[in-house]
Amino acid sequence: MSKKTAVQIDDLTVAYNYKPVLWDIDLEIPEGVLMAIVGPNGAGKSTLIKSVLGILKPIAGSVSIYGKSYEKQRSLVAYVPQKGSVDWDFPTTALDVVMMGTYGSLGWVKRPRQKEKKAALEALEQVGMLPFKNRQISQLSGGQQQRIFLARALVQDASIYFMDEPFQGVDATTEIAIINILKALRKANKTVIVVHHDLQTVPEYFDWVTFLNVKKIATGPVKDIFNDDNLTKTYGINYKVSIQK
Amino acid sequence: MSSAQLEIQLIASLVAIACAIPGTFLVLRKMAMISDAISHSILPGIVVGFFITQDLNSPLLIVLAALTGVITVVLVEQIQKTGLVKEDTAIGLVFPALFSIGVIMIAKNANDVHLDVDAVLLGELAFAPFDRLLISGVDVGPKSLWIIGSILVITVALLFAFFKELKLSTFDAGLAASLGFSPVIIHYGLMTVASVTTVGAFDAVGAILVVALMITPAASAYLLTTDLKKMLFLSIFFGVFSAISGYWVAHWLDASIAGSITTILGLLFLVVYLFAPSKGLIAVMYREKQQKIEVSLLTFLLHLKNHTEENERHVNHLREHINWQKIRAKTVVDLALKNNMITIDKHIVSLTEKGDDFTSQAIDYIITNEDAQIEDMKDDFFLFRG
Ligand SMILES: Nc1ncnc2c1ncn2[C@@H]1O[C@H](COP(=O)(O)OP(=O)(O)OP(=O)(O)O)[C@@H](O)[C@H]1O
Ligand SMILES: [Mg+2]
Repeated sequence: MSKKTAVQIDDLTVAYNYKPVLWDIDLEIPEGVLMAIVGPNGAGKSTLIKSVLGILKPIAGSVSIYGKSYEKQRSLVAYVPQKGSVDWDFPTTALDVVMMGTYGSLGWVKRPRQKEKKAALEALEQVGMLPFKNRQISQLSGGQQQRIFLARALVQDASIYFMDEPFQGVDATTEIAIINILKALRKANKTVIVVHHDLQTVPEYFDWVTFLNVKKIATGPVKDIFNDDNLTKTYGINYKVSIQK
Repeated sequence: MSSAQLEIQLIASLVAIACAIPGTFLVLRKMAMISDAISHSILPGIVVGFFITQDLNSPLLIVLAALTGVITVVLVEQIQKTGLVKEDTAIGLVFPALFSIGVIMIAKNANDVHLDVDAVLLGELAFAPFDRLLISGVDVGPKSLWIIGSILVITVALLFAFFKELKLSTFDAGLAASLGFSPVIIHYGLMTVASVTTVGAFDAVGAILVVALMITPAASAYLLTTDLKKMLFLSIFFGVFSAISGYWVAHWLDASIAGSITTILGLLFLVVYLFAPSKGLIAVMYREKQQKIEVSLLTFLLHLKNHTEENERHVNHLREHINWQKIRAKTVVDLALKNNMITIDKHIVSLTEKGDDFTSQAIDYIITNEDAQIEDMKDDFFLFRG
């Protein structure tokens, strides 16, 4: 495989209050993969994504997106935060939240206009949330909120998507709808990186996987490295679950 | 109405608008306490500024005092960052310290300084019209009107320019950062506006009224709307309404203007808190009661569905069996009858076809608990809700 590298992480160390939560991470994510990041609660999965996106400042190491710093490549990257990271009682509508995805391309001061609104409506349509566009966000179910976040990332029209637990609290139907969208993104040669908790579905949904628990345990194609050995190393306990390949 | 009266109301209204704008974002960011901290800790800034300028209305004094406000925020955040105490504790540590430094500075120099703690905390709106701004000898109006007017113009301009950035970083600081809108800059921008407004207004209305005007209108508006722009307009409206009606209440009762305005603000919040259509206390209690009845109705219908034998479906037996107080039983039976879910024939209750359908659907819903299904059922399942 002579694929381009979409994301390159070198010697990344991140700490909150001097307690390192990510330790010397090296990671190379090839273009066009649909990658799962797996690891137990508190493993530093969210922290890893936040450091790549410049939300957190690492104490050491560097990140590059297609060979350049993140600051230069912002427009290539979209982000779906963990659902619990925002206040869903905030006074705003589904459409308005999706429009926020266009703010990056607008830059400071400029307001969204018809063009941005149209893009947001299309993204809502794509995730099947168009009928809810004027709903206040607290009046959406958990799965619907997750779809709104997905639509917001889609509207960014990026090359690389980072998604922090997009399947959290969604029912089976929504999960399939979301994974189909992710697979469509991969087909368009986009790189999609997903924090994922349901180990059973990893082989079915993803073609690439990274095991993380403070340190990087392993990274590579699912068919090569998604095995009991790596799972045990990551989760500590003996992981003899029957994961069908 | 004399021109002095008009000027007082104008000043109070402008202060209300200037406070409502940053106040709305403070409330949404759950930072109401910070405005309290700022309003107290600017005191040393004001005192130092006054020593240097000898003029309570000097722009330099406003800048110095506003700086103290921002320093307060920084100190609170630094203490909080140590992870040893929570935010409210950090606030509680910082502002009394700064405030008391201010008080000591005033006390030490009380003889030659025209400045006292009461004036800073409570202000005196009634005197505001007497301090005139003269430009080459021409009286152009009260000084406080010009000060707060300028601050308001700047605040509104900033709001128009950065509304999108403020909204985004308040709702989702993570996304804001990843898109390159530094949430830190926006945060300190907002803190600076709040500090400048507090300082600019303290002379006219006092620090306490500033806090009340920042937080109370926004908190009331928050209960009434689900749209950020409407929340801003409502906050402004509530602020101005309280300012003007507070003025007249004070006028009739011959009481303190700031005190009356604060009281009106409090009453206004109370009314909204009780009667707000969906988030108000009464609406919430009403909804909870309706939900209880819904659950009872469902229990009742399930029982009917599970028991075909007639003795289980006798009206009197049902009362005993499900063990409800008579009143509740009657409410539920009436409701079921009204919705054509049951029929009563010679004291024997039976499900109608509709009731049977409804119950099956409800069981389905309870078991699967699927989002999509809630949407489908909202029409017929939630009898009371929209
Ligand atoms: N703001 C913070 N301040 C201090 N410690 C933090 C902060 N955020 C996270 N941590 C700590 O850093 C570690 C990694 O957190 P992170 O959120 O990255 O984990 P995660 O792998 O995403 O977990 P989860 O599966 O629960 O989402 C945890 O031990 C957590 O307690
Ligand atoms: Mg996480």
